[in-house]
Amino acid sequence: MDCREFREQHLSFVDDTLPGVELVRMQMHLTECDECARHDASIRRSLMLFRNLPRIEPSPDFAKKLEIKLREAKLADAAAASGSRSRKFAAAVTITSAAMLTYIGVSLRQVDTPQDIVLPPVVAIATSSDASAGGPAPEMIAAVSAGLPIWTAALFAEQTSAHFASIELASITH
Amino acid sequence: MAIIARKHAVGEQGASVREQLRAMDDSGVVTAFLGGEERAFSELVDRYQTRLLNFIYRTIGDREKAEDLVQEVFIRVYRHLHRFDRSKKFSTWAYTIASNLAKNELRNRSRNPLVLFQTVQKNWQEDDRPLQFEDSTSRPDDMYRKRHLREIVEESVAKLPEHHRHVFILRELEGKSYEEIAEITDCNLGTVKSRLNRARNSFAEIVAPYMD
Repeated sequence: MDCREFREQHLSFVDDTLPGVELVRMQMHLTECDECARHDASIRRSLMLFRNLPRIEPSPDFAKKLEIKLREAKLADAAAASGSRSRKFAAAVTITSAAMLTYIGVSLRQVDTPQDIVLPPVVAIATSSDASAGGPAPEMIAAVSAGLPIWTAALFAEQTSAHFASIELASITH
Repeated sequence: MAIIARKHAVGEQGASVREQLRAMDDSGVVTAFLGGEERAFSELVDRYQTRLLNFIYRTIGDREKAEDLVQEVFIRVYRHLHRFDRSKKFSTWAYTIASNLAKNELRNRSRNPLVLFQTVQKNWQEDDRPLQFEDSTSRPDDMYRKRHLREIVEESVAKLPEHHRHVFILRELEGKSYEEIAEITDCNLGTVKSRLNRARNSFAEIVAPYMD
């Protein structure tokens, strides 16, 4: 083992995490190399110093201060939670009101806007006195106003003189 | 008479609950707290207050501020324990919070020279306080040597670069494994080992002249 390899593995060597074979090689190198041996001793001594630094204890009022801070934190969390619930409720009321106002506004606009009025069709029917004056038959007039096309042929038929094939029929009409 | 007996019974019951909590591991204590046992939180505080205080104090070098930060750690633990992943170690989580708070404190100081000066000045004044590890049976020159050595060691640690100091304290003082340190500091394992190796070498170099 050379010094470079020794230094690379020194962390694990000090922490006793090397496998057995490597541990033995490291120990062998220590016996062979004064500089690495000094380095190893220096590291171990300084670590021992640091690890034995006295531990500081919390001050006598530490627990009391912590208790006060915890209580304040609990109150703050409770206030935040209720504030959050109030805000949600207020938001729901606002949204509902806005929706209602929008609906009312739309409805009012529809009333104000002029629209086409659809009326049912009107059928004009002549009275019986008008029919007796010699005009077209009432049924003819009704058919005309209804738009039925048969009235054209019927009108012509009325105006055209009739020529019957048999003498008996002709005597009926005249 | 009955009231006294009842109080005594309640006291005994409380004592046995505390004993039970003391016998549990961290995971059990956390479960007890989340199940409604408020005393379980006090058990967590008892277990970790000194450890976290020493960790933060050695990292930032200000005892008063360190106590404030430890209390902040416990406030955050209290607030967020219900979201803590119980498959992980509570210790690692608590140290991660502490580590982040300490790092933030150091970052704030580096941005504000006045705060840095005031901290250094306050630490000078703390030297006048009696040392905690002094005992009355020690000889005065031994006590002086100890005090001097303690100062040297503390100053030497403070001289380490922040990211080296962090892993150095977690490993050498808090006994954390490489994996735990990696999780706490959000680094990979190789980085942790590299920083730790450098921290050890640097620290040994700094204190070496005072060791002879």
